Amino acid sequence: MLDADGHVRPGWTELIGALDELGPEEVASRFERADQYLRDSGVYYRKYDGVEGKERAWPLAHVPLILDESEWLTITRGLTQRAELLETIVADIYGSNELVQRGLLPPELIARNAEFLRPMVGIRPASGHFLHFCAFELGRGPDGGWWVLGDRTQAPSGAGFALENRVATTRALSDIYGKMPVHRLAGFFRGFRDALNAIASGGEGRVGILTPGQHNETYFEHAYIARYLGFMLLEGEDLVVENGKVMVRTVSGLRPVDVLWRRMDASFADPLELRYDSRIGTPGITEAIRQGSISMVNALGSGILETRALAAFMPNLCRALTGSELELPTIATWWCGGEAERRHVIDNFDQMMVGSAFATGLAIEDTDGTVIGGTLPAAERQALLARLEAEGGAFVGQEQVHLSTAPLYIGGRLEPRPMTLRVYAARTRDGWTVMPGGFARIGATSDSAAVAMQRGGQAADVWVVSSEPVERVSLLPGEGEKLVRISAGSLPSRAADNLIWLGRYAERCEATVRILRAYNARLAESSNPDLALLKDTRAYLDGLGVDASVPLPHGLLAAIDSAVHSASQIRDRFSPDGWLALVDLRKTARAFAERVQPGDDATRAMTVLLRKLAGFSGLVHENMYRFAGWRFLEIGRRLERGIQIAGAVAWCTRKNAPEGSLDLLLEIGDSVMTHRRRFSVIAGVNSYIDLLVLDSLNPRSVRFQIAELHQQLEQLPGGVEDGHLSAAAKSALSLDTELRVAEPEDMTTPRLSRLGIDIGNLAGLIADAYFA
Amino acid sequence: MLYDVRLELHYDYEASVHGDRHLVRVSPASIPQVQRVIASSLSFDPRPQQETTFTDYFGNLVTTIAYSGYHDHLSVRLSARVQVEDLHSSADLSPDLSGLKQELAALWSVAPDSPQQFLAASPRVPLAPEITAYARESVDRTLSVRAAAMDLCLRIHRDFRYDKDVTKVDTGPVEAFALRGGVCQDFAHVMIAGLRGVGIPAAYVSGFLRTIPPKGKPRLEGSDAMHAWVRVWCGQHAGWVEFDPTNAMVAGADHITIGHGRDYSDVSPIVGVLRTSGEHSAKQSVDVVRVE
Repeated sequence: MLDADGHVRPGWTELIGALDELGPEEVASRFERADQYLRDSGVYYRKYDGVEGKERAWPLAHVPLILDESEWLTITRGLTQRAELLETIVADIYGSNELVQRGLLPPELIARNAEFLRPMVGIRPASGHFLHFCAFELGRGPDGGWWVLGDRTQAPSGAGFALENRVATTRALSDIYGKMPVHRLAGFFRGFRDALNAIASGGEGRVGILTPGQHNETYFEHAYIARYLGFMLLEGEDLVVENGKVMVRTVSGLRPVDVLWRRMDASFADPLELRYDSRIGTPGITEAIRQGSISMVNALGSGILETRALAAFMPNLCRALTGSELELPTIATWWCGGEAERRHVIDNFDQMMVGSAFATGLAIEDTDGTVIGGTLPAAERQALLARLEAEGGAFVGQEQVHLSTAPLYIGGRLEPRPMTLRVYAARTRDGWTVMPGGFARIGATSDSAAVAMQRGGQAADVWVVSSEPVERVSLLPGEGEKLVRISAGSLPSRAADNLIWLGRYAERCEATVRILRAYNARLAESSNPDLALLKDTRAYLDGLGVDASVPLPHGLLAAIDSAVHSASQIRDRFSPDGWLALVDLRKTARAFAERVQPGDDATRAMTVLLRKLAGFSGLVHENMYRFAGWRFLEIGRRLERGIQIAGAVAWCTRKNAPEGSLDLLLEIGDSVMTHRRRFSVIAGVNSYIDLLVLDSLNPRSVRFQIAELHQQLEQLPGGVEDGHLSAAAKSALSLDTELRVAEPEDMTTPRLSRLGIDIGNLAGLIADAYFA
Repeated sequence: MLYDVRLELHYDYEASVHGDRHLVRVSPASIPQVQRVIASSLSFDPRPQQETTFTDYFGNLVTTIAYSGYHDHLSVRLSARVQVEDLHSSADLSPDLSGLKQELAALWSVAPDSPQQFLAASPRVPLAPEITAYARESVDRTLSVRAAAMDLCLRIHRDFRYDKDVTKVDTGPVEAFALRGGVCQDFAHVMIAGLRGVGIPAAYVSGFLRTIPPKGKPRLEGSDAMHAWVRVWCGQHAGWVEFDPTNAMVAGADHITIGHGRDYSDVSPIVGVLRTSGEHSAKQSVDVVRVE
């Protein structure tokens, strides 16, 4: 915030003044508004503190980092030069290898490097370039000058978080943001989106984001960027290589994809030629790259540029390749494979951050076992010095950094804390562009190493303040721009499968909750668990894997978990509101499990869960566009409801069903009112079967589900072709016809049981046609 | 010497598989001044839906096959006629280890055949202190790199038991070293780990051995299956020399090369990705006959 002379840096005065004016209480409530936004949007990251990563709330530092435009221009120029330089270096490493032959790069940094992917050597990327999207980690020295701490070329993360930081911060500080000429971020994303689409336009025009999947620490961001830019979110198993071309398994069959913006490390991309133990890759993708049919962003193998030892050679490489100096210096680095450099590191050991030459993380984040010489106990110190002498080539030393600070708002005051800045550069049709912003990481303590978020650091938005009013940009097409429609039918099979299961589990939860509610209500009335009807209902639930003697049975909690699990794999496909409703349902159910008592208490708890389930269904069904995705969700819901109702009717109308079974059936079929209205006088068993199985107007009847299924199945890709129905649609139509002509007395208990199995078979036919 | 080589790899799958994809590295390549491939043909049963060939980073011939239909077996058949030259000289032109290290330091190349490629640990060959110490003895009792490599080759043959039952295809050199036993792949991996440990570049070679020995000579171990041995860089003048620790000899006219890499993983005969839950069984048969 202050420069070397103790003056307030440009841009800050206005912000500090505005915060002062608001007063601490107002500031606190505004910051809470930002946090609320992040919670509501489901922004999280994964923190690894054991075997399994946990989802953590996004640690937003609410006060943005303010940078003056002129300072920003220096950074932009420096990073543009650097990105070009990196492109030249990586093209040489995977091409003619002149840098090694000219003595500018030691051969062992390449030959011993796990990120040197030999199958990629000699392949020119289809797009013409290796690098399209890079991130840079910057630090500011006490003198105000910026340094590059690290290059991110493998699969840089965080650009989506930068966007979310912006939205959240402006929620809190909208009036201040509105008054200050802060550069907008959308233009950067728009430029990159257009660039990727332009690369893809040589083929079928499809761009996908390749994610390692929901267990990745930044999966939220992959889904977010996919939604924001309108790209498909793909996992390795969504893809298959056919005749040298990468294809997406979709519900309409195999569809080509032309550009993959990958968020997984390169070696995992292909289990056949890169890492045999990868379980998240696509066999044959290397073959497709060799044939030039797919553009990878960035090219596989670009990760080699992140090698820490490379930083030692950047100044020389820049001079040799461009004839000029680096505009932004790199953190001072010595590769200990050189005699003089090794001596220097050993002589200045106490002030050195010493780590693996092949580390890719930042030295200050200590992710690869980096140590500061001066802090080591005697024995370790001797051991490390001995290793430096014996195998120097495996180590680098970096000057210990003292980061300049940024203000962090703590307890109503702004406290200075060390800060690093992550900045993004994208290759567009007009060359490299740098995002006017980024994300700043601010340390939890004054220790420079504490900026890492895994160690309690916080993330702040970055405002680049112009001296003139700025242009407002959005991703929406401007005037005169062509509207591009993305056609339906490119729904990946895996997503469709998850949508079906999400629909099924949500419906299974509802059915279970309804039966449990009816059960507990009767338990509360009679308070005798040995009553025939109660025993019978417990037996029925037992057959569904639900133990009704427990108020919140494990079977119900497991079904909710399964719904959340299915939903978590398709976060790019439905609204954050729907997701939050589901997570809230799980949270409530888990809390109930701790304290709810059988009987009346459980009845009320089930009513709460039922309302929450309805909330989820409503949010999803009212907001989802009627693309193929919605149809699969709907199909899942109808399949499950059909199976559940058929089962319940079969059980409750069987010969020896205890007294009260039919009333219970009406209640779990949510048809008490309708039944009373339609059958006021005679209420034999047939009236129940008629209403809950054959009635075409009752949205809870089996027939209603089948008719809906038939309709949806015909609308799916391949549902009707040249007048012929797909196997699934045919089977649904045949069931529909049977129910249409049937009389209640035809619906014997065996036939009703059989009906559930028929619907289950329908699910199998759908899986064969769309997910195989 | 002229050989006719026949190889069949056969896999039976317990459950039918589909959508599988394999890389096959069994076809011998022509190597200037070492061997010439006169004819070579590779066939598959069932016939794959997709088949392409390419030359990999180390110059090996690779065939990619992919199946979209269901099948319950896979057969790979190779038949080739190969002319092999016996050029290895018994003269030792190699420097001692410190001389070799100086030559390496002056070698600014990461070309695929550069010795720099074969110094570091690789996917299947970690460097282990106990194997390095074992190899160090060979360096200490000899005067040149080539002599050290030969000494190590002979010691492995002497100290290790050839036994098909103690190791599997995925056994690593550390385990094989502890067992003091294994097959050609294990012997080669141990020797490579030892040589790299002391700083001598070493590569893994996969190939075949002649089945019927010359009159009066014993049948070579491993000739009924695919074979593996070691390629050692013995300095600028001596170049690459090949040693067969399984048979305690320099590899020459009895050895037909398929290809080489850093270890088994770079030249494994077949790599596949199967989508199946079932087990599979494998059979391999090799026949190498001298034609003239």
